[in-house]
Amino acid sequence: MDSMMEYKCPCCGGAIGFDSAVQKMKCPYCDTEFEMDTLKEYDEELKKSAQEDMSWEKKSSEWEEEDENNVAAFVCKSCGGEIVADKNTAATSCPFCDNPVIMTERLAGSLKPDFVIPFKLDKNAAKEGMKKHLQGKKLLPKAFKDENHIDEIKGVYVPFWLFDADVDANMRYKGTRIRSWSDGRYRYTETSYFSILRSGSMGFDVIPVDGSSKMPNDMMESLEPFDFSEAVDFQTAYLAGYLADKYDVTAEESEERVNTRIKGSVERSFASTVIGYSALIPESCGISLKNAEEKYALFPVWILNTTWNGEKYVFAMNGQTGKFAGNLPVDKGAYHKWLWGLTAAVGAGFYLLATLIHYLF
Amino acid sequence: MKKIISFLLVLTFVLMGATVSYAENFPRLVDGAELLSKYEATEIESRLNEISERQKLDVVIVTTDELYGKSPRDFADDYFDSGYGFGNNKDGVLLLINMEERDWYLSTRGFAVTAFTDAGIDYMAEEFVPYMSDGDFYRGFEVFTRLCDEFITQAKNGEPYDRGNLPKEPLGFIWIVVAVGVGLVVALIVTASMKRRLKNVRSKTEASDYIRKGSFNITNSRDLFLYRNVSRVKIQTNSGGSSTHRSSSGARHGGRGGKF
Repeated sequence: MDSMMEYKCPCCGGAIGFDSAVQKMKCPYCDTEFEMDTLKEYDEELKKSAQEDMSWEKKSSEWEEEDENNVAAFVCKSCGGEIVADKNTAATSCPFCDNPVIMTERLAGSLKPDFVIPFKLDKNAAKEGMKKHLQGKKLLPKAFKDENHIDEIKGVYVPFWLFDADVDANMRYKGTRIRSWSDGRYRYTETSYFSILRSGSMGFDVIPVDGSSKMPNDMMESLEPFDFSEAVDFQTAYLAGYLADKYDVTAEESEERVNTRIKGSVERSFASTVIGYSALIPESCGISLKNAEEKYALFPVWILNTTWNGEKYVFAMNGQTGKFAGNLPVDKGAYHKWLWGLTAAVGAGFYLLATLIHYLF
Repeated sequence: MKKIISFLLVLTFVLMGATVSYAENFPRLVDGAELLSKYEATEIESRLNEISERQKLDVVIVTTDELYGKSPRDFADDYFDSGYGFGNNKDGVLLLINMEERDWYLSTRGFAVTAFTDAGIDYMAEEFVPYMSDGDFYRGFEVFTRLCDEFITQAKNGEPYDRGNLPKEPLGFIWIVVAVGVGLVVALIVTASMKRRLKNVRSKTEASDYIRKGSFNITNSRDLFLYRNVSRVKIQTNSGGSSTHRSSSGARHGGRGGKF
């Protein structure tokens, strides 16, 4: 059984990877470029030849015991070095020769993703994104900006579950309308109460939910949206040169997250059709899902790790759109300077204005 | 030339004599209830005289233990009509303090009716009545004479103090507290938004990016009227000016009074 593969350049035999700039496979040694479709066939061929290599089977069964300990070892096909990888790792690079390797068994059968959005932005774009992220933040410690250097930067294909669903909803609200007029002697205020009913339907396409427990959900949601129109059918070749994980959170476990988001959107969309009320209180909300369906896809994410003052900071960039996410430390001193400075300035301004109004009118 | 000088001298004597006799017969401070010490009485009286002469409008204070069956208003009006007042219109103002019932009444006549509007007198009362309630009549009269001077000057400038046009007090201490509070709230909002820019990792509560285009349709939409409530509030009328009445002698007076 084949457990690992590598793409070799048909020209020079060097290990090749996916190049996000040309959206093709490119050999770093001889600069030859290959169409993805060509490689698909090449991929098939490689699988066939690998199946003939009987010596792998024994070894892989031997390693299965280690699999329980969350790690597995592979032998690099290029240099023979031993690659130790997390049990969810689907693509990585050899620590000895740096050649990209792909654990095909973690992307086969039910683990085979339906779609992949290939990387569009490269490592330099991620570094630029980081620089831009640090700009214009007044409360960011200056030292963080100056001393900050990126410890590690890696391109990861993160597993996502994509949910499609049709929603039927029945909503009931209580609304009030206020009208007021006067007849010279009295001011009248009329409050009218209404019961408002709305039923209807709406559809959702490809709501993504992070399927990797290693990636924090909120961080991945901060990178949204991904443009799904650029997704292509999955091919292992896209993974060459990047890291990839297989999912370890199942679709069922992800449903809760997607339901919360669907409910939020449905509630807002329906509430936006109720107009002309001064107050609106939701009274009941019935939402039912139809034709719910999930797909499995890999989305491109750049992960940047930095350390500052002994603390780790993780940043992520959408490898397709360049959207950047990551929390930054707050400069306490600068915060207090701004807080009390603004209090004094605004307070003084307000007092002056109040005095002026008091004496003028 | 000699004739002119002698004429002026005579005129001066006549005027001086008139003023002296006037002050003797109609003193501007009549402390019948003996609320002030001798020194205080001299102080207040000289102040009343000074203001009255300068403004050409009598400012009089009368205190009494008895009203002889009259209402404070009638007593004050009649007391004034007995001979006070400048010029043909008898311009003047009289503050009556009745210790028996602890009444105060401010009677106005002539130009003073214009100068001391109802709202103006209410404003003055707020300033000087608290001193009277505390028994500090000297300070109360002092404040009263100062306010009279201000009110007359303001009226002579063509715009007497009235509703919506009352003298401005400096903003109180509470406004400093309010200003600091407003400043702190604004600063907290601004710094919170600055802090929020540092924390951009947030969970999404919605999936609005993924709503299929044109898939949102409402099949049933009804707004049912249940019931209504109507409440009404009386509108406060906002008129200014001075209300007037006739005194027993038929003169037109303005004024206002109360208890202290």
